Amino acid sequence: MKERTIWEQIADSFRSRSIWMLHYCTGCGAMELPPTMTARFDMERFGITPMATPRQADIMLITGYLNTKTLRRVIYTYEQMADPKYVVGFGSCTINGGIYFDSYSTINRLDYYIPVDVYIAGCMPRPEAILEAFNYLMEKIRKGEADGWKRYKENYDWYKQNQIRSLGEVYVHDEFHE
Amino acid sequence: MTSSMSNLVKILEGFNPFVEEIDEKEVKITISSDKVVAVLETLKSNGYSHLSLMTCIDWIDDNQLELVYILFSWKNGGKFLVSTRIDRNDPKFVTVKELWPVARFYEREIHEFFGVEFEGNDDMKPLFLELWDEKPPLRKDFDPRDYSRKKFPDRKYEKDVIKEAKIFRGEING
Ligand code: SF4
Repeated sequence: MKERTIWEQIADSFRSRSIWMLHYCTGCGAMELPPTMTARFDMERFGITPMATPRQADIMLITGYLNTKTLRRVIYTYEQMADPKYVVGFGSCTINGGIYFDSYSTINRLDYYIPVDVYIAGCMPRPEAILEAFNYLMEKIRKGEADGWKRYKENYDWYKQNQIRSLGEVYVHDEFHE
Repeated sequence: MTSSMSNLVKILEGFNPFVEEIDEKEVKITISSDKVVAVLETLKSNGYSHLSLMTCIDWIDDNQLELVYILFSWKNGGKFLVSTRIDRNDPKFVTVKELWPVARFYEREIHEFFGVEFEGNDDMKPLFLELWDEKPPLRKDFDPRDYSRKKFPDRKYEKDVIKEAKIFRGEING
């Protein structure tokens, strides 16, 4: 990894204290976010808050299994987000397919298509585990280790090739908008 | 079977159905495929006006596909299951979109997942799957595991006993 300049270190330190997450949920994991967001676990005390548009968000949560149809939208969304951006994969479905390992329409591992900074194991991880992962991600950002977005740029061809192999085509054809 | 339902079954006698009573308010009628539309029409005009579900079952050993229409009555809460079997190798049937416009979407779904053609319904675009390149996936001879292995690579898992022991003892964070 390249040495960071002092300014980058300061910027990373600030970034880690104000992470806005994109409010986009797939799979079953969305169920664990309301308690994480609201009074019981209250993730806003760590500076994490939901954001409606990808252009202003810093992290994307992939909360569970992704089928090929959703993966196209996820790639669109991920590419719309501004740098620096981080991805957190929730649950065993994003790690190795989980109980959908033999499904004909859900992917098996997420980091093959977009770079993932933190994985949370479990089916489904509880809010404590999610907060633990957010703290770990903040730590990684502070140390400059959360560099998924750089890896995506450097290995763009590899990611694109994987995406095309599994999806056929990344472009979204939508019967209601064409 | 409630009395109003058994009256209806008597009306349907002419179609030569095989009637099974599933529950107090649930009756299954199996008929030959050319009489389905007439039976559905009769049921619809007798109060069973709500098509709750239309679905398909693959009986691969009999080489047949079973189509099931579930009709519900808002007047007495009764349910009729109208079932018929069609040939699996040349799956063709008529559309019921004139009776229930919502059937268009059920038919698209069945076309997509079982490969049944519905004559008269020419909007057969895929509904759920995008860029599907195999045989219809809910047919019993389709192997989802094989397809998944071909298209979606797995994560290789290497056993590392020492690391696992360390995680187990809480020395490192797995
Ligand atoms: S890991 Fe479990 S809870 Fe999460 S999406 Fe998969 S099946 Fe659902």
